[in-house]
Amino acid sequence: MNDRTDNEERILRVWTPIILRTILATAIVILLIGLISMAWQNPGYYVARFHHLQKIGHLQNRESVAALVAASLRGEPRPIMTLGLMVLTLVPLARVAFCFLLFVKERDGIYVAFTAYVLIGLVAGVILGRVG
Amino acid sequence: MFILLGLLALAMGAGFIGALSGLGGGVFIVPALLIFAHIPMGIAVGASMISVVATSAGASVAFVRDGWTNLRVAMVLECATVTGAVTGAYLAGIVPTWVLELLFALMMLQSAYFTVTKAGDSIVPHCDALAERLRLRGRIPAENGGQEIEYGVVNVPGGAILMVVAGLMSGLLGIGSGALKVMAMDYVMHIPLKVSSATSNFMIGVTAGAGALVFLARGDIATVIAAPVALGVIVGALAGSRVLPRVNVQALRHLFVVILLLIALEMGWRALSGF
Repeated sequence: MNDRTDNEERILRVWTPIILRTILATAIVILLIGLISMAWQNPGYYVARFHHLQKIGHLQNRESVAALVAASLRGEPRPIMTLGLMVLTLVPLARVAFCFLLFVKERDGIYVAFTAYVLIGLVAGVILGRVG
Repeated sequence: MFILLGLLALAMGAGFIGALSGLGGGVFIVPALLIFAHIPMGIAVGASMISVVATSAGASVAFVRDGWTNLRVAMVLECATVTGAVTGAYLAGIVPTWVLELLFALMMLQSAYFTVTKAGDSIVPHCDALAERLRLRGRIPAENGGQEIEYGVVNVPGGAILMVVAGLMSGLLGIGSGALKVMAMDYVMHIPLKVSSATSNFMIGVTAGAGALVFLARGDIATVIAAPVALGVIVGALAGSRVLPRVNVQALRHLFVVILLLIALEMGWRALSGF
């Protein structure tokens, strides 16, 4: 309903929903696998961890992506779930990346700058979280 | 197993009410985790932020396909919300809990005010100079199925300032701040309400995603809480959106306002107790 070009229409209405839903579905499947294997393999761990979390305020439990992937491949439930949450946060990132590519293709300088700023902001968030 | 099922049920309930009220699950999941699961504020905020990302992903796809989202308005304002969200999520690790609880109470009051006052559109036919330069003008279908109505956009700086605040609240409190975003677009920038709601839904995921990335990178997301909460909220929100066309939302509006006021009271009381 807004002033969109054909490119915007095609990318917004066709490709973006397909890709975003695929990422979302992947994240949900990974989370379900992690949750079911945790409940199946070691339900006692879940209860103990839950009660531990009730007592503490902040976690500050930094883990590298490489270590998480390695632990997930070994079938450890908690890293699998963390990986699922990371995939979930890719959904908004992917959406902004799509918009960025769209505006680059249209040679729309102002909006390339706006989307680049948002992308840089998201990356800055990761860096800030790592060092902060 | 009982704890896990309880968390799933709690999140499904929050997602369901969030979808029916149009305020999103985040507004209800944080107080639900605090009050019923006795989870500390910092951990509840992280789990809620992830659930906001999850629910907005599905919702915004539908709104974009329906054609109500103004992509250019969203991209301009996302610069402001992401700045606020990253700052807020960073500060969430430093700010005392009682301050977060107080801010949450204030946001609930704002959401209640918006639920009561949101009414019709005050469409402006022309853009101001900055909005014209940014090509923010859009079109919506006429209610009687006639010719499309063109709408203009005004006061982008005023809207952007409110969006920084909305992002800040999102990063600090793990909520989507949808009510504040829609208010900024509708009341300050004079964008039609339905376009404001759709554009806000499109933006919420990116705003919450920015905050969630800070929390994840800092290792401040409790996976065993966030994973079932995210899954539960998705299921609840889906169920809510299915039921939505069959219920009289206007009649439920008063109930939502009472719930929001009760949450504001509870959070305000917690803030004063912790001060």
